[in-house]
Amino acid sequence: MRLYEVRAVSYRYGGNGQAVSALADVDLDVDAGEFLAIAGPSGSGKTTLLNLLGLLHAPDAGTIRLDGRDASTLGERERTRLRRERIAFIFQSLNLIPVLSAYENVEYVLLSRPLSSAERRRRTLGALAAVGIADQAGRRPQRMSGGQQQRVAIARALVRDVGVILADEPTAALDHATGRAVMDLLKRLNRDRGITFIFSTHDPRILAAADRVVHLADGRISS
Amino acid sequence: MRRAALLLTMSLRNVFRNRRRSLFALATIAMGTLGLFVFMGFNRGLMNQYRANTIRARWGHGQLYVEGYRDRAHARPWEHWIDRPSAVMAQLRVLPGVLDLFPRLTVSAILVVGEHTVAGQGEGIDGAAEARFFTQLNYREGGDFRDRPDGIVLGEGLGRGLGVHTGDEIRLVVQGGERPSQTATLRVTGIFHTGSQEFDSRAFRIPLGVAQRLLVTDRVESIAVALAGVEAWPAFAAAVRTTLPTLEAVPFDELDRIYYRHAVDWLDAQFAFIRGIILLVVFLGIFNVISMAVLERTREIGTLRANGDGQFRIALGHILEAVVLAVLGAAIGLTTGWMLSAGPLRDGVAMPPAPGITRSFRIQIELAIPDALQVLSLAILTAVVGCLLPVWRAVRMPIADALRHV
Repeated sequence: MRLYEVRAVSYRYGGNGQAVSALADVDLDVDAGEFLAIAGPSGSGKTTLLNLLGLLHAPDAGTIRLDGRDASTLGERERTRLRRERIAFIFQSLNLIPVLSAYENVEYVLLSRPLSSAERRRRTLGALAAVGIADQAGRRPQRMSGGQQQRVAIARALVRDVGVILADEPTAALDHATGRAVMDLLKRLNRDRGITFIFSTHDPRILAAADRVVHLADGRISS
Repeated sequence: MRRAALLLTMSLRNVFRNRRRSLFALATIAMGTLGLFVFMGFNRGLMNQYRANTIRARWGHGQLYVEGYRDRAHARPWEHWIDRPSAVMAQLRVLPGVLDLFPRLTVSAILVVGEHTVAGQGEGIDGAAEARFFTQLNYREGGDFRDRPDGIVLGEGLGRGLGVHTGDEIRLVVQGGERPSQTATLRVTGIFHTGSQEFDSRAFRIPLGVAQRLLVTDRVESIAVALAGVEAWPAFAAAVRTTLPTLEAVPFDELDRIYYRHAVDWLDAQFAFIRGIILLVVFLGIFNVISMAVLERTREIGTLRANGDGQFRIALGHILEAVVLAVLGAAIGLTTGWMLSAGPLRDGVAMPPAPGITRSFRIQIELAIPDALQVLSLAILTAVVGCLLPVWRAVRMPIADALRHV
């Protein structure tokens, strides 16, 4: 089943004659359940493409269809709603809220949904258990290791049950062993739950595990 | 419910996230609220003391005149004075809030001592009754004449102009106009000062009976009223309109409009200006702290928005944080203000003589619950306004830019 259809998408940063092309004429299809890696050197447009797929901004040209719906012409409010329903993110820098516990960080993203407190608790603990840190639920991020923090970020992405997770260099800040453990976890979630993962990455472990690798160079898909 | 609780928890914890910065913010708000609160207490004390001084020195809580008497000059003013004052006072004594009544008669006279002649403006009063209430008439020497039928007390400046002291004799001459001139020889029992230089340089007081004889009348010009309190005036004035419609009840702040009312208005304007400066300092403190906090959390904000959190809820979290800061800071400031007023400032603040006043005085810091609530509200309002701009800028930043922010 087709999840994304990206057609002739271009994006430029800046303006007033100083604009720099980040993506040019990109076409890309992504099926539901894929474990897709977007690879390329720094400045090739990986993060820009991921941001466009995450509806963080609209393309300057071209169309992006999500579940068959043209998302490239939506306003900010509609994009926020669609993102809330369908897309989750994992970032290299994690961006957990340091004053909240692991449990609260994960629970926070469910608060905008009309769920009972029992259901919210069940889902939150379930997400923490799925990434293997249910016993750390009461701890704050700064008292956790880098790997544990990344698992909290993954649980935060999982808990909304949105079907597609976009991950920007998720293992870049982790040591080798921790990065491998996180990779195995993501692959298992993809396999067991059918969650679609789209990564921007340099990490050869992700590239090796990916179903498909899209290479970007100078804002264009090279292979 | 849980959403609100978690937002509040997050806001509370964020306050202590960067302790040094939060301490700075709390100190700014605490100092601002402390300054505002104590200044309001000082202002209240000043106003109350000034009001008490005005009431207890000259006017009472107000005075009664024949209706229309004060509105224009009269060729024969004695025809417009209060007739049968004893009967009128008997009716007034039973009205609500009345503690005491003081019949008065204004006397313009030439005061003669040897070859010295000075024009003065005095009052014939019931000395014994007035001594009970008009406690702000302070004596430099001697005292009031009370029941002494030939006594006279002089303002400090008038006494100095005549070169007299307690025990000296003074002759009063009242020009009669179309009636014959009258004279009386009186003995100085005291030299007083009220605090008002202008008043003290021409004022004298003599027994009411002497004044009535000099003016050839058995009427009084006015009756001053002592009430249980300032708040009793409206009910008293209404009762006068009903029971004695030929009389007009005039409150002290209208009688002393030039000094009291204008002074109050002037102090209020000054207070509003100082309050504005204090609030501006608090505003800038909050603005600075929230701006720094928001800058520091830009990526967090970007992440929350990327995960579908709305701009309003993110903004609400930061606004709540500002409110928490304001409430904590205000609590510290208000508590410190109360401690100061109960401790080092318990005896008030010593003040030099004000313009036109001849004696120094102490102002009590009169703190009040309504002032505390007003200060707290202002602190919260200032904090919310101070955080709106940085928060609004942050939540409107493009998400991708926020996520890249370093």
